[in-house]
Amino acid sequence: MTTSFNAELGILDRVDGSASYKFGATSLICSVSGPIEAKARQELPTSAALEVTIRPDVGVSSTREKLTEDKLKSVLGSVISTFLYPRQLIQVVVQILDAGEAPCYVVRELVGCINACYLALIDAKVGISESFYAKCVAIEQNTGKLILDPTDRDLTSSKSHHAVCFSLGNGKSKSLLYSESFGQFTEEELLKVLDFAAEAIEQENIGVRKVISEAVSNDYVWMS
Amino acid sequence: MFKGFEVSSNEQAFTLETLKSGIRFDGRKLEEMRDIDIRLGDEYGYVEVRLGNTKAIVRISAQLAVPFEDRPYEGIFQISTEISPMAGPMFEAGRQSIDEVLISRLVEKAVRRSGALDLESLCIIAGSRCWAVRADVHFLDYDGNFIDATCLAVMVGLSHFKKPDIAINGEEIVLFSTDQRDPVPLSVLHIPLCVTFAFYNPNDVEENIKGSSSGELILVDPTMKEEAQSLGSMTLTLNKNREICQISKAGGLPIDAPVIMDCCSIAYSIVERLTEKIKQLLKDDEAKRIDINVQRALSAANDR
Amino acid sequence: MSRFEIYSPEGLRVDGRRWNEIRRFECRINSHPTSSDGSSYVEQGNTKVLCLVQGPMEPALRSQSSTAQGSLIVNVSVTPFATVERNKRPRNDRRIQELSATLTRTFNKAIVLKNYPRSLIQVNLQVLALDGGLLAACTNATTLALMDAGISMYDYISSVTAGIFDGQTPLLDLNTIEENELGFLTVGVIGESEKLALLLMEDRVGMDSLEKVLAIAIAGSHRIRELMDIQVRNYGKHKVAKLANQ
Repeated sequence: MTTSFNAELGILDRVDGSASYKFGATSLICSVSGPIEAKARQELPTSAALEVTIRPDVGVSSTREKLTEDKLKSVLGSVISTFLYPRQLIQVVVQILDAGEAPCYVVRELVGCINACYLALIDAKVGISESFYAKCVAIEQNTGKLILDPTDRDLTSSKSHHAVCFSLGNGKSKSLLYSESFGQFTEEELLKVLDFAAEAIEQENIGVRKVISEAVSNDYVWMS
Repeated sequence: MFKGFEVSSNEQAFTLETLKSGIRFDGRKLEEMRDIDIRLGDEYGYVEVRLGNTKAIVRISAQLAVPFEDRPYEGIFQISTEISPMAGPMFEAGRQSIDEVLISRLVEKAVRRSGALDLESLCIIAGSRCWAVRADVHFLDYDGNFIDATCLAVMVGLSHFKKPDIAINGEEIVLFSTDQRDPVPLSVLHIPLCVTFAFYNPNDVEENIKGSSSGELILVDPTMKEEAQSLGSMTLTLNKNREICQISKAGGLPIDAPVIMDCCSIAYSIVERLTEKIKQLLKDDEAKRIDINVQRALSAANDR
Repeated sequence: MSRFEIYSPEGLRVDGRRWNEIRRFECRINSHPTSSDGSSYVEQGNTKVLCLVQGPMEPALRSQSSTAQGSLIVNVSVTPFATVERNKRPRNDRRIQELSATLTRTFNKAIVLKNYPRSLIQVNLQVLALDGGLLAACTNATTLALMDAGISMYDYISSVTAGIFDGQTPLLDLNTIEENELGFLTVGVIGESEKLALLLMEDRVGMDSLEKVLAIAIAGSHRIRELMDIQVRNYGKHKVAKLANQ
């Protein structure tokens, strides 16, 4: 299960940090610039301002992207150590290359955004208080089986789908940062989904760490 | 070219000196374009273009739509070129600077106005149904010369893209998925490509305007640094049928007409080469796809 | 085929001109002596443009002030009644934005801006009637108005359009009908030289006929420069005579 994604850090030159992230049919690129000079209207006296832009693969961005931006901002705002950079700006742009799901769903997109941002923030060396990672899970209509990383087809035949983001500590899922559910499900099912996602995140984290340590060792190649 | 990027006077003087001896920072000759790397995606109409360090991705998509009232026999073609801060923090999100407007106008003129895409072929039922083709350009990394990269990417995208096949049943339109019927390519009439030149003056600028001297230096395909120091630029759009689709030299260093004619022939040789490259690339891609399709068909037979 | 005979076998165009004739060019300098520092009015055939220049003056915004050289702003507005069909243009029409950016960049190099540090020069163009050659008429009007304002320039920038008919006959100074039918370009020539400050082309033109079109366009620009020069000199004489009388 550790190879369910494809990620690369530091793919862009003009920004401070960038990462491409691909899982299944969903593929996106995230860039982070910061801390940089904030415009007067964005400036916050005690912490860094966060600017999040999501650009869709096809068409112009609409309220759909605005909503996802807002969700992403709430996740990032809770992990980035904004107090380190007062009156500065951290600019996050996510370019979706392939949504990998029908436009009525945003779950794969959101999960991809969170994970790509995590990698890009590390590449930009922006201070974050803890690691985090997200996964999506769907509950199958008839059997009630949990599906990890549901494809577009899985989503249409599911009775509910969930996006879950955990913070990580010592390779273990620590606390729930964000969870979002659509569809009909019981409380019991939701708890099962959370446990399931936490475990999946722990497993995938092994692969993520490998990608990150490779990128970091490349960055510090001059030290050896 | 874009705000927030300035080059020190020392570096400017150095650049001019090197240019005078015909050398550029990246080892190119003055009339040489950077290496172009085009990658086609698995999906039709997904193109990644790298021009040196400038990167752009184009996605072509098609949808059914109602044609414009004043043009009932034509489909709709839109190019969206919004530059996000991903390309560099000097680009502001959600606000178009004047440079961005000029880029999008130029690409629009080069591709749309020059009639590269046959709009009439996009018409399905006159006045009520047509295809709306969209080219979404995503700028990933900026190192000068967005225009050439964008135009190339859009043209490759349009030539590569295939729209789903349709059938008309009276007033009803049947849309076939790609498994049911092979998708059909767009009718691309010609491939206009842009070549951008940057002008420098090793002598006094005033001398160039007042006097008869014209010792200006001309570079093809400027990088961001070269762009920032240039005294003006010109974009020529040509196709391999020796037609000029668009010229844009908005101000900047005054240039003698014969020099512009020379630029045209330089641009033509570049365009000729690029067009060949694109054709070859598309052919290879087509062949690869046929291969895969054949294999799939064979494996399906084996299953049974 | 078009409804019009763009170029008849006898060598006449829709409005009766020959291939190398410009339209009636009339210009006035200092047309609005009280409301601006420099003004001009240009009629190129049925295209009528009014230009007012303010400045050099103190910039309103800090961002417009540069210690190295003056800054230039060009605003263009096309009145709703300028064309046959009355249509309201959106405020941020990209064509108009492009037009004003083009004019700004052109005159940035033609004005001796280093003479005006920390100052702003503002050019406002009103297009009263539009019948082809919009950019050309705007360029000519701006040149005249800047001269009237006494702003130091290196030389005249004179501008005209030229198109190509059937891939062989170049036509000078097109009107709207011709512009819609032909591929054409707009040039802006510096003084009596053959140097182009401005060169814009939007439609397909064969590479081999470009030289012909450019040549006739440059010749046309020189003619327009002469006409503008006569007007400027007449006005100068008139002004000097007036001062002498006082």
